[in-house]
Amino acid sequence: MKLRDNYLTPSERLLKSSVGVVKGVLFGTLLVGLCFTILYPILKALPTVFNDLNDLGNPNVVWVPETLSVNSFKLAFRIAFGNGLSILQTLLYSIAIAFIQMMMSAMVGYVLGRNNSKIFSILTGLVIVAIMVPPQALLISQYLSLKNFDAFGLIPLLNGGETIDLVGNPLVLYILAFAGFGLRQNVFVFIFRQSFRGFPKELEEAALIDGCGFYRTYFQIAFPNAVPSMVTVLTLSFVWNYGDTFYTTYFDPTGPYLANTLSSMFQWANRDLIADFATALYGFSGNANYVLDAVKFAAVLIFLLPLLLLYFFMQKKLVENFERSGIVG
Amino acid sequence: MLNRKNRLSYRRSWMLNSLVFLAPWVIGFLLFFATPLWNTIWYSFNTLGVGSDGKMTAEFVGIQNYVSLFTDVLTKDNTPVTRLLVEENLNILMNAPVILVFSLFLAIILNSNFKGRAAVRIIFFLPIILGLDIVKDMLTASSGDFVDVAAESFFGEDSPILQFLLVNTFLPEGVVNFLGEINNNIYNVISGCGVQTLIFLAGLQSINGSLYEVAKIEGATTYEIFWKITLPMLKDIMTFVLVYSFIDLFLASSIADEIYTFAFMKNSIGIGSALSVVYMINVLLDLVLMLFVFNKVVNLAGETKR
Repeated sequence: MKLRDNYLTPSERLLKSSVGVVKGVLFGTLLVGLCFTILYPILKALPTVFNDLNDLGNPNVVWVPETLSVNSFKLAFRIAFGNGLSILQTLLYSIAIAFIQMMMSAMVGYVLGRNNSKIFSILTGLVIVAIMVPPQALLISQYLSLKNFDAFGLIPLLNGGETIDLVGNPLVLYILAFAGFGLRQNVFVFIFRQSFRGFPKELEEAALIDGCGFYRTYFQIAFPNAVPSMVTVLTLSFVWNYGDTFYTTYFDPTGPYLANTLSSMFQWANRDLIADFATALYGFSGNANYVLDAVKFAAVLIFLLPLLLLYFFMQKKLVENFERSGIVG
Repeated sequence: MLNRKNRLSYRRSWMLNSLVFLAPWVIGFLLFFATPLWNTIWYSFNTLGVGSDGKMTAEFVGIQNYVSLFTDVLTKDNTPVTRLLVEENLNILMNAPVILVFSLFLAIILNSNFKGRAAVRIIFFLPIILGLDIVKDMLTASSGDFVDVAAESFFGEDSPILQFLLVNTFLPEGVVNFLGEINNNIYNVISGCGVQTLIFLAGLQSINGSLYEVAKIEGATTYEIFWKITLPMLKDIMTFVLVYSFIDLFLASSIADEIYTFAFMKNSIGIGSALSVVYMINVLLDLVLMLFVFNKVVNLAGETKR
């Protein structure tokens, strides 16, 4: 109770505290509602995946499974994950890409953020243009140029007049990230630029006076000070690349990327196939739609597991860093 | 004299070294952005085919591709392209401001003090993960289920809430339907809010606390503080968030799918490229319109709410 409340009459005090209670209840309801809406798809999927396959679509079983079973998970694993190697490959791929994207965009962001001369402002403008043009619009000609990759005529010179076909080669995704045009990489460049703009000039000057060159100033002073932005960019890049289907579908369609496998496997058209699997393995008899849903949810939960684990174990650090990253400049 | 010379050489070496840092990006820009951009525009004025030697041939046809894009060709669902564009644009122009307001709202909630803030924070940032397109697609049931039906009858067109609003308030039908549609769409809106909430939260925390103190001492109400301090301080961030959500929405639109269908399924790269160009111009025009309206609204809000 605040000090000034002592001067209120009892009835005024009652009114005040009851207004507080009502406000609290309303706010609490709002929070619970929002959290429920966010979690709803997961909450809805959980009873479905733990249901016995034959209980799916049974109107008596909505939220609490009658018999617990993990057959959906087993089936999902058989259909989409094989021996589990693809999970590991996808994780390694996204971690590697996230690191490359982070390092490369930090370097560009540093240069753009630390200098206000005209040429760098123009380059910053180009970064913003690159953010605004959707990659799908450039898909056709990017695909064609990667199919006959010549790098301004350099490669035919070295390769006896022949261009190389980069489509289907996993290397192409790394090249794109290295050259600053991976998945949403210019957003990351922009984040780093904003964060390095707020980096105190005095630190840089002190480093210069103490005899640090350009590279030492960057790698020992500026870069280690950008940890919040680094964490933010690494997390976003990891999550986005893990779930990306655009770059992987078009530029490396045969790769082992989980997101691709899932989106092509669990299509509506495949529901009878999946139902046949369920019938053969677990004696399922019933509507193919239900088993498609159950197996699909199970697969996406397995797919999400690494992300959710990472998020729950690191969430405190992550959110603190999110909040402190120079995203706002 | 020596000092001056040193400073110049330092600046020059800084510039030279920074070029090394920039080099990969500049090469990437030329190889993977500028060239494809130019080629896309060039292809859109050509009919492309494969010649007898296996090389690609291009025949200049002027604006023929654009004409047929808007007159003869049909999309995957056998609708005219114009209709697809109009539908997608309406959808995006409607959703972007909703996402902007909603993510600011979530960020303001997260920025206030209450019990259980840590738990709520975990959940509010989950859309960064749950909002991935693949996850959103796969968590959508293909068979209509019990809870969806309940939500539909509660917020759908004939729902009691909307009927109540229509009958008992003076809101025009359009507004009520708009609210109903947002309500139906609430999961899509929330799942598109993850990164935006994050950016807003960072922005809110960067506002100097003494501004709020001064305002409180001067007797400003919470309402006035929001319009007079929070909103103006967040204006640049709001612009960034608006651009970001806009691009995000366009990335998920089905126009992109059509580009792929035209180019690689129907073998008309020229028409696909023409659609790409239209798509780019469309994004930029919408952005300009959106930013113009946004600036007007923010300025107006700052002026009238005294």
